[in-house]
Amino acid sequence: MRANSDNLTAIFTPKSVAVIGASTSPEKLGFQILKNIRDAGFKGPIYPVNPKATSILDLPCFPSIAQVEGTPELAVIIVPAGTVPATLAACGAKGVKGAIVISGGFSESGPEGESLQRQALEVAREHKIRMVGPNCQGVNNPYHGLCASWPLLTMRGTIAVVSQSGTVAAALMDWAAQEGIGVSALVSMGNRADVDEADLIEYFDGDAQTRAIALYIEGVKDGPRFLAAAKRARKPIVVLKPGRTEKGRQAAESHTKSLAGRDEVYQGAFRQFGICRAETLHELYDFSKVLAYLRRPPGRKVLFVTSSGGCGVLAADVAAGEGLDVAPLPEAVASQLRSFLPRHCVVNNPLDLTGDATAQMYKDVLAAARGSFDVVTVIFGDPIVGASEVIDRDDPELVVFLGGAEVEREEGRRLHARGVPVFPTPERGMRALAQLARFGLPGEKAHR
Amino acid sequence: MTLKVGLGQREGRYLLEPEALALIKAAGLPVIEHRTARSAEEAISAAGQLGYPVALKVVSREIVHKSDADGVQLDLRDAAAVGAAYRRVMDGAARHHADARVDGVLVCRMAKPGVEVILGLTRDPQFGPALMFGLGGIFVEIFRDVAFRLVPVSELDATEMIREIKGFPLLLAARGRPARDLATVVRCLLTLSRLAQSRPEIDAIDLNPVILYEEGCVVVDAKVFLTGGDGRS
Repeated sequence: MRANSDNLTAIFTPKSVAVIGASTSPEKLGFQILKNIRDAGFKGPIYPVNPKATSILDLPCFPSIAQVEGTPELAVIIVPAGTVPATLAACGAKGVKGAIVISGGFSESGPEGESLQRQALEVAREHKIRMVGPNCQGVNNPYHGLCASWPLLTMRGTIAVVSQSGTVAAALMDWAAQEGIGVSALVSMGNRADVDEADLIEYFDGDAQTRAIALYIEGVKDGPRFLAAAKRARKPIVVLKPGRTEKGRQAAESHTKSLAGRDEVYQGAFRQFGICRAETLHELYDFSKVLAYLRRPPGRKVLFVTSSGGCGVLAADVAAGEGLDVAPLPEAVASQLRSFLPRHCVVNNPLDLTGDATAQMYKDVLAAARGSFDVVTVIFGDPIVGASEVIDRDDPELVVFLGGAEVEREEGRRLHARGVPVFPTPERGMRALAQLARFGLPGEKAHR
Repeated sequence: MTLKVGLGQREGRYLLEPEALALIKAAGLPVIEHRTARSAEEAISAAGQLGYPVALKVVSREIVHKSDADGVQLDLRDAAAVGAAYRRVMDGAARHHADARVDGVLVCRMAKPGVEVILGLTRDPQFGPALMFGLGGIFVEIFRDVAFRLVPVSELDATEMIREIKGFPLLLAARGRPARDLATVVRCLLTLSRLAQSRPEIDAIDLNPVILYEEGCVVVDAKVFLTGGDGRS
């Protein structure tokens, strides 16, 4: 198995790339992908392949893969489905080690496509080429300047995004880029003829940049291999798998069989193998983010420090529903807090500093109360200047920031830049914290 | 009773209930005390040995849904009731399925009341054998309140699947009701897990209901479906 994911290096960190089916038309994927590879700052040689062009984007173009001067390690293939098997064979002859087949028209399109996909896989196996796709949105490794995908995104981070849907993958990476946390890599798996989620879990578990794996799948390709990979993985895995409402249950004489919808068995398997399940795209993002950037608190006792009474209540409500312990403030801590806080502050859990709270008040409260709880949820519910400095970068709290307009955006950007995840609503923050308490990597200190 | 069940030679898609109960019992699960009988007299004599009240169930490969054919007669309190029930079962079988081969009746002791739970085994096309646990009755029928785990199931898995169902608090002490023996459920699940691994010819098992007490539990009804027959209707 080890060898299996080791040879994915040609896909993620190739020394050189050929773009077969590179196009001169800016609206074509064959143009956009070539441009994205170049614009993301790929350091090695890039070889556009197109028999009808001499140069694209000022890069010399080759009429065929065979005629490329040099040996591309990776081929990104955007040619009609019918020519993909022959193209892969030519890549094999040239010594290509990895292929990303963007082209559609395979198993997703009917029996003819299915047979083409089988041929493509056979050719790839024969030439020892690892293949992502077909029918996919490519691979993006921002640590290698390799955006063999679209849109152009280059922000580096610690979440590996693995998806059966190209758009889901792109959306996650886009959100992560907008927040300034980025991803460690993106893989759109498409039809998963060769490379699948089991390979990628194994690869990213061993990848130095990755701290959590976000996975969108509509079903696993190979149950036992998936479970084996999940079992071996030390890094948190978050899965979004639709199908809860799927009425794919069998009419069966056996009661157990009729109750065993595919999703119920999946749910059992996820629980059994320590896989964190997200219910929505936002959760897939939030859970991956919290698991990538924070460590599991030592227990479930949570203190809320807020400038908004309402948001404190909302957060405490969701937290309690998620099994977190909204424990009362110890009297000693409460009386210490009362000695320096303004009289209108509500010294309780949630601890409401009210709308005129300052960063300094947050700092003082955290210093006094932190040690009595396993984790603190810090809610900034107003434009609190200097909020980002309140949070200890080595031992961050769960931060929720809302209602702070421009100040919020600036302080949020600073927090994210320091590797402190910020959640936009109390509910999303608390759902994320609940997952952290269950699936987070152990440790007192966040590792940055 | 030491009935050896050679599943390999069985015809049909599922075991007759006496065979199913014997298999489950041989695997180590606590099974309701029962006898088979081929006449009203035998049934009355069996009931006498078991002790009243008893239940009668038709044993026939052709009758799957026993209660549709008057094939289940519960809470029979004396010999006269057993004799009458035997005739109702036979009449029902004949009416339901004119040429059904009836292999007699199963005479079971009525289990003491307790909390009804369901334990099951299925084989998932993607993940292989999986166990199910749920509360019986409306919880499983209406709320589908069940939890699954893949085989092999560890003690921790079994404990977690019991706690996972929404109705779990009903198994704990509350409002004067005693707490139920969860350790025995864990043991039953582990036994089923081993059975699933050692008998690949079993496609599905329904133990429904299993009656759970403060101490121990008892399997009251067992269905065992075989691969090839695959348990689908």
